[in-house]
Amino acid sequence: MYQKSPTQEWASSVVRYKKFPGSWAWLLHRITGLGLTAYVLVHINTLASLQEGPEAFNAKMQVFMQPHWIFAAWILFGLVIYHTLNGIRIVIIDFGKGAKYHKQLLYGAVVIGLIVFLWMGYIMFFVHTDHDFLSNIVSFF
Amino acid sequence: MSYKYTGSRGSGSMSWFLQRISGIVLVFVMVGHFTLMHYNPEMGHLYDRVYERMQNPYYQMLQIAFVVLALYHGLQGVWNVYRDFKFPSWLNMAVLSLLIVAGVGFGALGIANILHF
Ligand code: HEM
Ligand code: HEM
Repeated sequence: MYQKSPTQEWASSVVRYKKFPGSWAWLLHRITGLGLTAYVLVHINTLASLQEGPEAFNAKMQVFMQPHWIFAAWILFGLVIYHTLNGIRIVIIDFGKGAKYHKQLLYGAVVIGLIVFLWMGYIMFFVHTDHDFLSNIVSFF
Repeated sequence: MSYKYTGSRGSGSMSWFLQRISGIVLVFVMVGHFTLMHYNPEMGHLYDRVYERMQNPYYQMLQIAFVVLALYHGLQGVWNVYRDFKFPSWLNMAVLSLLIVAGVGFGALGIANILHF
């Protein structure tokens, strides 16, 4: 008989379950956490070029100063800010009395997160770079 | 597992706790890191800027704490996710070993990056 692998089992149960706001919060926390872990490993590996001296490091980082990479870094910041704010929410629920108002905490986190995300975008694209926001987006695609 | 003689030890409550503590500390380091690195593109992408910061031993200590915490929290998190599935026990050992080796290896590389200065 055909048997589902554990991964298929999990995937289909994730799809099947009725999702409350808290389920989405959990799933997103998981995805962002795994994404950030992958990023940290790649990041440390990239930074190893610091040990090869200025030329090697600057040459490597030059790439990441291009507009579409700055756009990618902004998206990365989106993962960071969600995981951070929802992480704080989890800690308040576990250590405080947060279970009583976990939904309000979630909506609060989403609102604060969006504001900080847009603010960071403003800093990254408008304040310090010579290129404007639209050309960043266009060059990304 | 029977908890009769061990209390909550071995139940994972310690990693649950440490995941939260490392998370709380990471909040501050993470926000600082992102603001510093993007306040101005040069700060995050030019060797000379990194060099200047790294002359400060306290900054180096902070960075070492950052690498260690991020790796601990991240890889422990991956293990957490893995443990939500049921896999054969030989695979558990293989995955756990791989995570530990990755942690030690990338930790050593990360610390070497910092102490190079
Ligand atoms: C910025 C501050 C951060 C806070 C407050 C935070 C908080 C948390 C908390 C409380 C959990 C436990 C979730 C649970 O048991 O249900 C967690 C899980 C996790 N975190 Fe973080 N974290 C932070 C940063 C990071 C970073 C930088 C990484 C990547 C290196 C990361 C990767 C993960 C992973 C992979 C998980 C496991 C996800 C899961 O169990 O579903 N976190 N985080
Ligand atoms: C795209 C935005 C980012 C840029 C431009 C950036 C840049 C840098 C730079 C230049 C360093 C070298 C040390 C220093 O100057 O302090 C560094 C170190 C580090 N960053 Fe980032 N970073 C970014 C995002 C992140 C994120 C999202 C994380 C965590 C999830 C992270 C984790 C680390 C860690 C752990 C170190 C120490 C690594 C080592 O010692 O090898 N960074 N970062």
